[in-house]
Amino acid sequence: MADNGLGSSNQESTLIRQNNLECKNLYDYLKTRPPNILEKLYNHPTICLAVYRELPELARQYVIRILFVDQPVPQAVVASWGSQAFSKEHVYVSKVLSELSVWQEATIPGGLLGWILSPTFKKNLKVALLGGGKAWSMSSALEADSKARDVTFLDAYSLERWECVLHYMVGSQQQEGISADAVRILLHAGLMKRDEDDGSPVITRQGFQFLLLDRQAQVWHFLLQYLDTVEERGLDLVECLTFLFQLSFSTLGKRKAGRFYPTRLALNITNSQNKNTPDIEEDTPKGYIVVETNYRVYAYTDSNLQVALIGLFTELMYRFPNLVVGVITRDSVRQALRGGITADQIIGYLKQHAHVQMLHAENRQPLPPTVVDQIKLWELERNRLTYNEGVLYSQFLSQADFNVLKEYAQTNGSLIWYNKERRTLVINKSAHDDVKKFLEEIF
Amino acid sequence: MAYLITREAIKEDDEGFLEASIADIIQRAKRKRQALKHGSQKLGMMRHLYILLDCSDSMSNQDLKPTRLLCTLKLLEIFIEEFFDQNPISQMGVIIMHNKRAEKISDLAGNARKHIKYTNSLNRTSLIGEPSLQNGLEMALSSLKLLPSHASREILVIMGSLTTCDPSDINVTIDNLKQEGVRCSVIGLAAEVHVCRKIANQTGGVYNVILDDSHFKDLLFQQVDPPPAAMCLESSLIKMGFPHQINVEGSDEPLTIHVDSTDESSKLTTGGYYCPQCFSKYCELPVECRACGLTLVSAPHLARSYHHLFSCLELCRTTF
Amino acid sequence: MNNIVLPSEKQPEITSTDETSLLVVILDSNPGQKMLRENPHVLTQCVDSVIAFANSHLMQKAQNKLAIMACHSKTSQFIYPGPSKPLDVRQVDGQYEAFTIVEKTTKHNLAKLLSSENSAVITESLLAGAIAMALCYIARIQRIKPPGAKLNCRILVVTGSGSSASQYMNYMNVFFTAQKQNVVIDVCALDQHLSLLQQGCDITNGLYLKVPQLQGLLQYLLWVFLPEPPIREKLVLPPPVKVDYRAACFCHRELIDIGFVCSVCLSIFCKFSPICTTCHTVFKVPAPLTVKPKKKKIKL
Repeated sequence: MADNGLGSSNQESTLIRQNNLECKNLYDYLKTRPPNILEKLYNHPTICLAVYRELPELARQYVIRILFVDQPVPQAVVASWGSQAFSKEHVYVSKVLSELSVWQEATIPGGLLGWILSPTFKKNLKVALLGGGKAWSMSSALEADSKARDVTFLDAYSLERWECVLHYMVGSQQQEGISADAVRILLHAGLMKRDEDDGSPVITRQGFQFLLLDRQAQVWHFLLQYLDTVEERGLDLVECLTFLFQLSFSTLGKRKAGRFYPTRLALNITNSQNKNTPDIEEDTPKGYIVVETNYRVYAYTDSNLQVALIGLFTELMYRFPNLVVGVITRDSVRQALRGGITADQIIGYLKQHAHVQMLHAENRQPLPPTVVDQIKLWELERNRLTYNEGVLYSQFLSQADFNVLKEYAQTNGSLIWYNKERRTLVINKSAHDDVKKFLEEIF
Repeated sequence: MAYLITREAIKEDDEGFLEASIADIIQRAKRKRQALKHGSQKLGMMRHLYILLDCSDSMSNQDLKPTRLLCTLKLLEIFIEEFFDQNPISQMGVIIMHNKRAEKISDLAGNARKHIKYTNSLNRTSLIGEPSLQNGLEMALSSLKLLPSHASREILVIMGSLTTCDPSDINVTIDNLKQEGVRCSVIGLAAEVHVCRKIANQTGGVYNVILDDSHFKDLLFQQVDPPPAAMCLESSLIKMGFPHQINVEGSDEPLTIHVDSTDESSKLTTGGYYCPQCFSKYCELPVECRACGLTLVSAPHLARSYHHLFSCLELCRTTF
Repeated sequence: MNNIVLPSEKQPEITSTDETSLLVVILDSNPGQKMLRENPHVLTQCVDSVIAFANSHLMQKAQNKLAIMACHSKTSQFIYPGPSKPLDVRQVDGQYEAFTIVEKTTKHNLAKLLSSENSAVITESLLAGAIAMALCYIARIQRIKPPGAKLNCRILVVTGSGSSASQYMNYMNVFFTAQKQNVVIDVCALDQHLSLLQQGCDITNGLYLKVPQLQGLLQYLLWVFLPEPPIREKLVLPPPVKVDYRAACFCHRELIDIGFVCSVCLSIFCKFSPICTTCHTVFKVPAPLTVKPKKKKIKL
């Protein structure tokens, strides 16, 4: 099964990759920036704060422990802070901290290796936590506002504006249009593409996947795409990021700079990590979907957008003025999976919009576990094949030669498949050069 | 009782809807009970309770889901845990009645886990014949009789059957119970039975017939609070031991098997408690020392029971 | 032909707790504390450390919640969020505005409290009452949270007072309540060892630390008490000390190994006495075996 069509499998895997929407979080994004940009970014307390919150749990503890220490701390000492059972996590966390240049390696007079926090990062995180330095939010210069907007108004406003974008994507006629800039970003992100006939933008597969994300992830993805276009337009990336983060750390509903009020959408940009937790004070939008154990989905909505989204993975049965009834079937889910939507996205969407009644259920699970499991099983059904790029070795002269090479590849962990009788083996493509060198040495 | 409260408690709210939150009703019933408690009343604190469980044919009835027995066992498991949580220095035993006989499932003991294990194993008992109330009561009584006079003696009967098949006059047994100061409460799963009411009335217990499973739970949990002390209950000072916890670091001390680790796989551990009188070692408190009979407890165990005696003031709502 | 060997590239599983964490700090501000009587300026340092610590807690996650209480000589009060309308605080320096609000509000309300109550009489801090208030606050937050949200709650007590046996019952009640509500109680003792509160930590799975020197208070707080309970197992923290659970007798307040317990009210005595001093019950004469020899002695 594995030895036929290696070439075509390559193509397949790239195809699959293209189909899926890549969703980066802040960490993935910053990781790809060069260190000098990071260093520049760390000059701003807000960014330090955002990066700090994005760090894994353990890393946050490490950073705070050495925040007030001026000398480098021996690596062995840092390692001893975590308990033995979680040593893997310690390694991972150290890697993350290094990748983001939050800390650097330094030698201690005794010759030991140690960690030291990046001085800029340290200084500015301290400023954010304890004070000092210059104010960055401009709020101090302002008079009290006589016509202050309240939080509910802002929530409603931001919700409406964002829905506008989403509606535009599915082409529903309900809402007013969006700005040309926004359209340009949607096109740039590949969420929409120009129709071949009349040139009007139409939604792509990735666009549908985008719609299934939760709101925070949508905003963040949109901003990332925007940042991609920033440099083309001759704007300074660092400045843009700084502004974004400053925005996200301002106080909800407080007037800034006399011209704008940050809404919750802006504030939540940076907590992409904890998107599953509803804020205990936040007035979350009411869920509208009820899923029953018989795979029926009841959606109390009159919005075309929501109906279209539910239609992506259910078979719609009835439609009433304020209620849509559908049923999740194998075919409907497979249809969605073929469109590149993942099971997790479907489940995530149903969970995110679960009706309050579903949340009150005794077992504390908003969705019936049978339905969740079945959707996952339907996805697994499609993933019975995995693709690996490989190089085929065949026509060995003797069984001994074959065995030697097989042993070598096996110990390297690069062996994908072998057949003793036909003396053929497939080796991971990345290990090809290595194996070739080995062959030349031996024979 | 709980259902009378239900009917009283349903009110219309501002918008004319009926208030139907069960949690609210239960909460209010709890507060009502709490308010009725007097601080001055003498309570039987060292409780010794036998649960008399009907395992006759009638327990296979499916009016409680999935069956009467399974539903009862599930509730008993929660009850046992709650009982020992609220009454840590008390003891409990379980007796089943089936096929006209009484059978002791677990002896009086203070270990919640053991009781739960034994009661859980009951789901495979064959439910046959009629129960014998008299045999069950006699068996419990014979064991409760031996207890010191300061112990509060109780029996809780859970009765599914409407009949009982007894070897002799049950009135004699009831008189004996009364004499020994055993308080006998009965929870009926089917309908009211005269003899059960009589037992409860004569011995100072309560008799209730359940309406459904949530009512059953409510009735069962009313037994968690210690009852008022029986008239003939004597008071005395009881000698108790307060063992030290043994330090793990003391490596000079050999690993020893705990005296109480009889049925569970014997483990060798370094931590544990020594009886201050005879130096037997135990890994859990509270326990009665097997060697010298001293009751071993720790101070928080006693403290846990204090709220029954000195009840808290009622909290009042404030706006914040 | 099923011998396909796949390279296993497993990411280490990183467990993260994405629950909201609510921290209630109880700061003992009673001027009657020994360390404050000796040097009143210590309070300023403690308040600063606690505020920095509280802000570090808020810094951990955007959705983390905080409340600070002051336990004073006669009352306990919430000083953040305060009873009055939130202060209109503007950013003055590089500090994150939310942190500035915490600092300003706390100091403002604490100053108000200190100036309103300055009786010369030394009373003990009512810590048990303060913990009870904190538990009520937590219960309220738990009740109004949206369905489906998870909330981790803990209480940190920072105090320089000594243990007092007079609040024993109140302490035990709040500890057991906290245990039932899954609220962790941490205790940071500044001055004296607190055996009662240490029991509370043990009962609720919290941490107890007696700070060796007040100078490094902030560092001690950050190291030991900042990690929220779910990730404490990943860190090496001070091991739980074996708590002395021996009882103190009601008559002499001494720790005893073997004692006598009243069967009616469970009072503990170190010696046999015919009448219970708590509930005035008259006890029956102890078992004749112990009495008879005494009688004989008298006769002889």
